[in-house]
Amino acid sequence: MAASTYSPSQGAERRQRQQQMRRLSIQSDWDRSDGRSFIQCRPAFLRTGAANAASGSAYAEFGTTKVIVSVFGPRESKKAMMYSDIGRLNCNVTFTTFATSLRGQGSDNKEYSAMLHKALEGAVILETFPKTTVDVFALVLESGGSDLPVIISCASLALADAGIMMYDLVSSVSVSCIGKNILIDPTNEEEVCQDGSLVLACMPARNEVTQLTLTGEWSLPKINEAMELCMDACLKLAGIMRSCLKESANLSN
Amino acid sequence: METTTIGGGEGATGMAAHMEVEAFRRLFPLPFYDRHLSKSVRPDARTLDSARETTISLGPVASADGSALVKIGETTMLAAIKLEVMTPSTESSDEGSIAVEFYMPPICSPMVRPGRPAEVAPVISQQLSDVIMSSRMVNLKELCLISGKASWIAYLDVYCLNADGSLFDAALLSAVAAFTHLQIPLVSVNEEGRVFTVSGEQQEKTKLELVNKEKRKLSIGNTPFPVTCVIHKEHIVVDPTAEEEAIMETSITIVLDTLGNLVSIYKPGGVGLASTATIKECISRTKRRMQDLKIILEEAVSVMEVD
Repeated sequence: MAASTYSPSQGAERRQRQQQMRRLSIQSDWDRSDGRSFIQCRPAFLRTGAANAASGSAYAEFGTTKVIVSVFGPRESKKAMMYSDIGRLNCNVTFTTFATSLRGQGSDNKEYSAMLHKALEGAVILETFPKTTVDVFALVLESGGSDLPVIISCASLALADAGIMMYDLVSSVSVSCIGKNILIDPTNEEEVCQDGSLVLACMPARNEVTQLTLTGEWSLPKINEAMELCMDACLKLAGIMRSCLKESANLSN
Repeated sequence: METTTIGGGEGATGMAAHMEVEAFRRLFPLPFYDRHLSKSVRPDARTLDSARETTISLGPVASADGSALVKIGETTMLAAIKLEVMTPSTESSDEGSIAVEFYMPPICSPMVRPGRPAEVAPVISQQLSDVIMSSRMVNLKELCLISGKASWIAYLDVYCLNADGSLFDAALLSAVAAFTHLQIPLVSVNEEGRVFTVSGEQQEKTKLELVNKEKRKLSIGNTPFPVTCVIHKEHIVVDPTAEEEAIMETSITIVLDTLGNLVSIYKPGGVGLASTATIKECISRTKRRMQDLKIILEEAVSVMEVD
């Protein structure tokens, strides 16, 4: 017999917080819950070589968002694939059951898997591993907001760690639009009450965008403002990613 | 580059005379290990009865009620416990329950692919559940909220982040550590009879009576500690890596509790039939390792309390 279970709801608290956020969104100046300014990202902690079973791996921690990505290959394509002159990139994103505040199922996230694939596809030089597959597997240990951008940045770091040839590192940042304000690198609470969101993944050294996802309500000048903000943040994040790679390269020497 | 200077083993006569060590290891793993074991040393410079460096850190997952990260060498396990309220069954109306699940996501090993779960995962899941329940480490009565009405169900989820042998040992150790870290939140009952958690800020505001007065920890009874040994010919090798597990004949996993009681012995088939003397030897190795693990766990708890 399956016992009927339910989670003790923290509904009252959450609703209160949401109402407060909505009130704030009308005003033009307020403090974010973690004390950041609107255009300040969470501190990024990045490390390569998190799991030695893989060809390359990386761990990223942005605030409470914690992601681990392993890269396997280039290796034999398992499925009965058609002959191909270029390599295949295979991406998979999974959440742990305890990643979200309500216990989840721990199953694959198909949407994020596809988005991750599209964001990386343009940066990886597929011609360098013909007939084979590179697998990029991500596990979200804790979801604290802006999950997809963190996964994308972490995955490109893991690809670099695995020695897969890329045109450039892909760094990704998202912004939320709440009322009159644009907030960079939003947390879960902020994402819940956003009017619109913009996720941008780019190769900063080449100044090329690999993926741009826009949802919700936006005005044209705001889109421009948000994109410029994201491009600049991506450039800075790529700098942090580069220094992380240099550090690990120095260590191994 | 280093080259082996000693002559080849059974399948590698002559050929190995001037071969690079890494190539010899890949092509002739058995003679490679035979030579090491006969000199009582392992490729990673351990002696046969020493375990890899083990670390425990408590509370890495903020969104869970209790969590722990355990590393045994390169094998990494992340365990987290989330509590939910349920209606207890009529047979055990004053007890809570524990649901254990072990996951091997594709990041942990090149052998696991998405959509095709690893074969060992459900086996380890069941073993974890059996050991936790039969060792009586957790008193299920402590998970009761209101007899017959409401009790806690503890969802214990163990994730393997990197698989490099002795998976069950690391999984059980992380589960034990997560239970010692578990904090039971404050709860209250509203007018409709539903139980909900009360956070720190709300504590003063709420007019409803709290069911439990303060955040508490479970009293962990006899803690079970596991050790896996692989048996290869006459050698007993403690805490094997994935490579050692793959090559050697058979393995034995022993679980002892802190009082020295035997909780479980598991020998999953294999070629070599272990004699009673071997099993006794494995148990004595487990006893020795248990003392180290106890200290490591106590240190992790005391570090947590200082913070």
